[in-house]
Amino acid sequence: MVVDLKSLRTDIWVDWCPGCGNFGILNATQRAIAELGLDPTKTVIVSGIGCSGKTPHFINVNGVHTLHGRAIPFATGIKIANPDLTVIVQGGDGDLLGIGAGHFVALGRRNLDITVVMHNNGVYGLTKGQASPTLFRNIKTKALPKPNIQDAVNPIALAIASGYTFVARTYSMNIKHYVETLKKAILHKGTAFIDVLQPCVVYNDIYTKDFFKERTYILEEDGWNPVIEPGTPTEEIEEKVKKAIEKSLEWGDKIPLGIFYLNKAVPEFGERLNTQISNYISLPPAKQKIARDDGTPILTNEDFREIFARYIIRRK
Amino acid sequence: MENELELMIGGPQGSGLDTTAQILTSSLAYLGYGVISDREYYSNITGKHSYIHMKVSPTRIPYDLSYPVKILTAIDAETLFHHYNDIDEKGFLALDEKVLDTTIDRIITMENYTKKMIKDDLMKRIGSTKIRDIVSYLEDDLNIEAIILNYKTLLDKLVEKFGVAASLASRYLSSIPMGIISGLLDINDEAIQYGVTRRFYGRESIIKNNVYLITMIAEEIKSQYGSPLKLPEPKLDMDEVMVVSGNDIVAMGKIVGGLRFQSYYPITPAADESFFIEANQNLGEKKGGVVVFQTEDELAAIASAIGGALAGARTATATSGPGFSLMVEALGWAGGSEVPLVITYYQRGGPATGLPTRGGQSDLLFTMFASHGEFPRVVIASGDHQEAFDDAIIALNLAEKYQLPVIHLLDKYLANSFATIPTPDMNKYKIDRGVLHRGDGNYVRFDTSRTISPRAFLGDNVIMWYTGNEHTEEGHVTEDPILRERMYRKRMEKLDLILKETPQEYMFKYYGPENPDYILLGWGFVKHVCMSAVNLLKEEGYKGGYLHMKMFSPFPKEGVEKILNRVDKNRIFAVENNIMLQAAKVTTLHTGIKIDRGIKKYTGRPIYLHELLEAIKELLKNDKKMEVVLTYGS
Repeated sequence: MVVDLKSLRTDIWVDWCPGCGNFGILNATQRAIAELGLDPTKTVIVSGIGCSGKTPHFINVNGVHTLHGRAIPFATGIKIANPDLTVIVQGGDGDLLGIGAGHFVALGRRNLDITVVMHNNGVYGLTKGQASPTLFRNIKTKALPKPNIQDAVNPIALAIASGYTFVARTYSMNIKHYVETLKKAILHKGTAFIDVLQPCVVYNDIYTKDFFKERTYILEEDGWNPVIEPGTPTEEIEEKVKKAIEKSLEWGDKIPLGIFYLNKAVPEFGERLNTQISNYISLPPAKQKIARDDGTPILTNEDFREIFARYIIRRK
Repeated sequence: MENELELMIGGPQGSGLDTTAQILTSSLAYLGYGVISDREYYSNITGKHSYIHMKVSPTRIPYDLSYPVKILTAIDAETLFHHYNDIDEKGFLALDEKVLDTTIDRIITMENYTKKMIKDDLMKRIGSTKIRDIVSYLEDDLNIEAIILNYKTLLDKLVEKFGVAASLASRYLSSIPMGIISGLLDINDEAIQYGVTRRFYGRESIIKNNVYLITMIAEEIKSQYGSPLKLPEPKLDMDEVMVVSGNDIVAMGKIVGGLRFQSYYPITPAADESFFIEANQNLGEKKGGVVVFQTEDELAAIASAIGGALAGARTATATSGPGFSLMVEALGWAGGSEVPLVITYYQRGGPATGLPTRGGQSDLLFTMFASHGEFPRVVIASGDHQEAFDDAIIALNLAEKYQLPVIHLLDKYLANSFATIPTPDMNKYKIDRGVLHRGDGNYVRFDTSRTISPRAFLGDNVIMWYTGNEHTEEGHVTEDPILRERMYRKRMEKLDLILKETPQEYMFKYYGPENPDYILLGWGFVKHVCMSAVNLLKEEGYKGGYLHMKMFSPFPKEGVEKILNRVDKNRIFAVENNIMLQAAKVTTLHTGIKIDRGIKKYTGRPIYLHELLEAIKELLKNDKKMEVVLTYGS
């Protein structure tokens, strides 16, 4: 399917601040959808709350703008009900690692085939610049009355430890790298996480464009091989996990971008559901007929007696 | 009622009482009797006191429970300390010989406060807390027959006869009460065999051992006592029955009603429903199955159910008070975004953790007003197992037809009690998915030209947006004042539409004469105890009626008003398991009829017929008395 890039824009005015990193994210997301030829009616972007939460309204595919922190469980329900949909979560760092951190971790346990994109700018922008869970201790961004006294979460290490099978980082101003990373993430059969570094021009005067420009480098160009193929021995997998987590600690003069970890050996959640319900993949919840043509339930009296036989007693 | 029998089996948590209750209920159902079996237990896995309270009827499906009971069979000493007051005159008490010298101080599993209260009572009445002395007192003063058996000797026979390892023999302890009751009631070997086989299907040696033990004890009892409580021939007209708990029957209703995605986080007393669905989730090669999704918390449970609904599946989540507290934010999202969603809500005692394994009806007001802002919701409550099945299906229909969240209220009493009910006829039920948009073209999800906008699913051949903000017809964020007013009103108009389109006899039901002397107002599991009380009081010359409320949102104001106007408002007595009389408050809010008098019970135990009868009479005899608080039950 050929999807025209222009047709992926809506007629809603994009109300982010001039120079916001979100423009890069928006642009790259539309390009990835177009280049992959995703059918807009079969694609769903699910967001939380905050500046990142507005993203779906600017892209002409299905959009679900949910509650603060809950984008992942909304997306999970959508994907389980209809696994044919391509589901992409757009969340902020506060959304995914603060109020929604429990869901972020739980998703890793399932390897559900959705992509989670985290807008990581270190601040809560829409509420005027409070510290987010990815801001390091002792840093005082512009709006903070005092330096931050809470430590930062390491998103890459957390994602790997939680079981995500595709873990990458990109930078919102490096559109080419972003598009390629997102396309690989969407095509990956399992839960993918992309940590997107982005400047907040209004509230984060530390992690600026210049800051990232000077420090970021591409992992793959450095000879990094994150891939775990099916059948890889456990010790080798463990070695890759350790190395990827070690790599995730690198932050300072050099900040790596690229795929830290890619595990193809873990069964996807739909396959797991199919072990419980033998026809889950061919007849997922949203595609089942639940009524007969006359409006009565699809289950007949015979079906009922068969399914619930152990609860029924024929009298003596 | 005449010819009905109540009995009790008590023992520590983990001793298999639930299994005994299921076997006994199945055996009695097989013989043709109607049974209700309530299970009361502590929030504890092993050791604390639990008991089964059962009523057996040859003429009806009973739902109400009463005291005293005709039989108390005790697995341990503690049971007698809790229940020595519960046995009827000339009733039967079965005990293990080895506990005869036990005093209450030795019962470490009993809470200190409870122990002190019981001890004080026993010392005052008998002057001793030794079981042997309590038994003598019951024999002498109440003509109760004490059946003292040596439980170990009975279990040793299993070891001797079938070579059951001595260490495993204690697992058969809970079959001893079954044997005693089978003897006293004359439950025949065939029925015993049936009940045991049904419970342990396929596990041949367990079946054989249990049947041997039960029938052997039954024979001993019969040879010594005859069958003094032999039940009259059953007169119930049913060839086939189901033996189901409230959790089971709601799960069945949901599956029949087209539920295909159930999310949940473990919580008592709701989790058994989700387990039931998972155990029965395969509906056949061509029909599909029901996904049961255990989430990380209740926030995710409701959010994923909403997601599934947007994609077009019938979805629901099941929870109790603490879980619903966490779901409240997303409930508002579902209301604002017009999402069909069912929340099956099993009430227990609150607030906070409250009484996790005990019942209550203290969450009606919470469910009606939970979440900020105004949005339409349906709140319905079921009064018995049959209603619960129907309501589970209707809830799914209402949710999709009106595109809103439906809260289906149940309580622990219903959830955890086993009943014998007729197998439902699928042809009597309808699935109504509401107005759907089919095809492609220019679609707007929130078309304001009609109250119910045609719904498309994510993945259909159209594009749509949803947001928790106020939104345009397309589903984009708006703060426009005129559009805000239109959207707001469109959503709220659904409530009037539901009232107009729902049959009145579904929303509430009045049982009683045209011109009653008094009306009981109730909801949920108080239904049958109220109906039984009204019936029995008729024989004493009190002409009353019972108004059973099912739908609280939207509230069927006019119909309810008409019924309540049949009596002086001073003769309306609310009967509820809460202190505020919440259903009465809601009724007053909508009808303006002030209901000040009521019968309340908030101990976590169900309302029993005998105490309700006394309470109604008290209110009838003394117009100045505003309330009666009930406390019976251990």
